[in-house]
Amino acid sequence: MTAKITVRGLRHEYVNPFTRERVTALDGVDLEVEDGEFLTVVGPSGCGKTTLLGILAGLVPATRGTVLLGARPVTGPGPDRGVVFQEFAILPWRTVERNIAHGLEIQGVPRAERAATVARFVELVGLRGFETKYPHELSGGMKQRVAVARTLAANPEVMLMDEPFASVDAQTRITLQEELNAIALATRKTILLVTHNVDEAVFLGDRCCVLSRRPGRVKTLVPVKIPRERRTWQLLTSDPSFAATKEQVLRLVREEVGAGDTA
Amino acid sequence: MGWRAALATWAALLGGVLAAWSLAAATLPMPAYVLPPPTAVLEALVDLARKGILPTYVGESLRRIVQAALVAVAVGVPAGVLLGMSRRAAEFSYPLLSFFQSVSGIAWLPLMLIWFGFGERTILIAVNYTVLFPVVFNALLGVRSVPQIYVNALRTLGASRWRIAWAVLLPGALPSIATGVRLGLAYGWRALIAAEMLVGANGLGFMIFSAQPFHLTARIMLGMGIIGVLWTLLDYFFLRPLEDATIARWGLVQR
Repeated sequence: MTAKITVRGLRHEYVNPFTRERVTALDGVDLEVEDGEFLTVVGPSGCGKTTLLGILAGLVPATRGTVLLGARPVTGPGPDRGVVFQEFAILPWRTVERNIAHGLEIQGVPRAERAATVARFVELVGLRGFETKYPHELSGGMKQRVAVARTLAANPEVMLMDEPFASVDAQTRITLQEELNAIALATRKTILLVTHNVDEAVFLGDRCCVLSRRPGRVKTLVPVKIPRERRTWQLLTSDPSFAATKEQVLRLVREEVGAGDTA
Repeated sequence: MGWRAALATWAALLGGVLAAWSLAAATLPMPAYVLPPPTAVLEALVDLARKGILPTYVGESLRRIVQAALVAVAVGVPAGVLLGMSRRAAEFSYPLLSFFQSVSGIAWLPLMLIWFGFGERTILIAVNYTVLFPVVFNALLGVRSVPQIYVNALRTLGASRWRIAWAVLLPGALPSIATGVRLGLAYGWRALIAAEMLVGANGLGFMIFSAQPFHLTARIMLGMGIIGVLWTLLDYFFLRPLEDATIARWGLVQR
């Protein structure tokens, strides 16, 4: 099986604009995401998770190392990699349907085809009846559904998600996680999701990648051996294998937090 | 407060002021040219309207301000957005725009009189200048304040620079552009009145200034009232509906 995303020897440095200090955010990251895989990335805060996602998206330049999408090197942002951001990044001046259609508009998809695709994704993310609403009329969870639908409607090869449910309440987050799992299964997309929430990482991932403290590198890849079809919060809360994997990942992350404190 | 209640309150307030004014004009020991009664202002209105002077003057003043507004929007908004698209261009032009915005068209008038003469040309240049800078300045500020995340989201969807300018920066800057247009027109309206006072052969500014040597106080008061009323109407029936249909509808400003 060929890797959909390949990361080799990735390093990222930047200069803190306030202290003028040179900071190494990532150093020596090697990672492969397989076609159709759902990979989650966790790590202590400040470990460079979001930077890694930014580099994969092409929004942040790498200092050293390569990122390949299939066999093509990533040099900048592009519609082959859809991104769902942590904050609500849908446009306030576009209605739900026009936000979802935006990627298709950019690709020059004809109006009729665009409408059909939008209708399909509105249905998929459960926003029927809200097509002509503006974002400020929606709840946080609904805004993030729009963002997911916008990304998927543009049909990227991979979907990159940066703490997509961090700004919604706990109850909504649980629902959105289950919905995302179902959507990922239905679309068979390759997904890389960054989070600081270990429960979320284990619930959603085929594998869970634990990053070390700064400068971030891959510490361990933990496989989650529960079929994704069986993942609902109701089933998993009583599943000993889920609890064990969660415990394992939590311990790995804690080691890094502890190591950071004594360093 | 509903518009009926608001209207009733305004009518009551106006009635009160007119009553107090009439009383003061009738009782205070001063000649009529210092404080003419409201009825004299009304007579001036009827008289000037009948002679056709008032419609011509109001028309001339409105023509000038509308022309300046059109130029400011057509030139100033694209200029501000373009400058705002580049951080370096924005940082370079910021102090310049700030400077020219603060040196109002009125302060330029003496120099413009020397350069462009006592005529229509000077009025138009002064008014266009005054309206333009706040529009450019605020369009630039608006573009710079658009959250980067919207730009990044569009870049990951494959949007070009120009699509980002049109689909993200321009609408994102609209609240600020609206402020710029409002400010620019308010400054421009004052600059227009001042320019008409100095070099006008018509217009509301000319009307009130040319009435002074003849102690046509009622005419001066009439002109001042019309200047205020016209601006209020312009704001209420043109600028606000425009904002309601866009930035208020998108939830970018609270109403």
